[in-house]
Amino acid sequence: MTREVFIAQVEREQEALRSFLLALCCGNKSDADDLAQDALVKAYLSSAGYQDKRKFRSWLFKIAYNTFLNHKASLRSTESIEEARTLTSSTSADSEFEHQDLYLALRTLPPKERSAITLFYLNGYNIKEIAKITETSEDAIKKQLSRGRDKLREQLRMNNG
Amino acid sequence: MDKDKALEELFLTQKPHFSDKADFMAALTKRLDAVEYIKQQQEATIRRYKMMMVAAFVVGVISGSASIAYMLSTPTDMPLFTFHVQTEFFLWLSANSRVLTATALSLLMTLGIFSIISNVQDILRMRVCLRAKK
Repeated sequence: MTREVFIAQVEREQEALRSFLLALCCGNKSDADDLAQDALVKAYLSSAGYQDKRKFRSWLFKIAYNTFLNHKASLRSTESIEEARTLTSSTSADSEFEHQDLYLALRTLPPKERSAITLFYLNGYNIKEIAKITETSEDAIKKQLSRGRDKLREQLRMNNG
Repeated sequence: MDKDKALEELFLTQKPHFSDKADFMAALTKRLDAVEYIKQQQEATIRRYKMMMVAAFVVGVISGSASIAYMLSTPTDMPLFTFHVQTEFFLWLSANSRVLTATALSLLMTLGIFSIISNVQDILRMRVCLRAKK
């Protein structure tokens, strides 16, 4: 895939990719965009051998998902500090996305459940496709979706009630 | 698995819209330019290594062949080199010139082989790094 073709494809898919990462980052737009840029650079570096243009979006999502998990893993040691910071900032700052009910509720889900729920409800992928993107079994995805959906419903109820 | 309609609707209504698409693409293009630059630099380094290796190989083969040819062309009962200074040490050097030259050549060849192996390993390592980045 040439650079021009890659950029043209990304231009078409960037909104879906950024929406996906924005949901995974629970509305933190700067984090989501940084991860999107990282994922796209990784995709570009491996795009030379990529042929199947029909599945370009799934391929991008797979890279983005792995980039997100790596990012989460690298942050694990400082997560408590980050959480404290988020809690402090959530009372004062009001950004475009961060305080939407959905993102607040998504924040309570573990990364894998959050990914499965987002891919299923936001991006419209079916279980088989999600299993391929996340390299997990279909049964595991079903469990993640079921558990995630229950937690999300409960959290939304609490947020609204 | 059936979709929860309420959740689906919530995701749809809160679907983000990005007004900075052009800025995002501009930032990405900049990053890709930087990546291209680094890639070109690494490829140039690999090319340089290869050239150095080929040059070392050619020089080694030519000088080795010339030395061996010279050794074989001289009579065996004559020393390969002599010194004008007639001390015990220099006389010993002249007497054993053939053995000493052969030893020096072997050492040089061993050194050459080691440097070629280390260059090949460097190239392979850089290739692995490049592939990993891909």
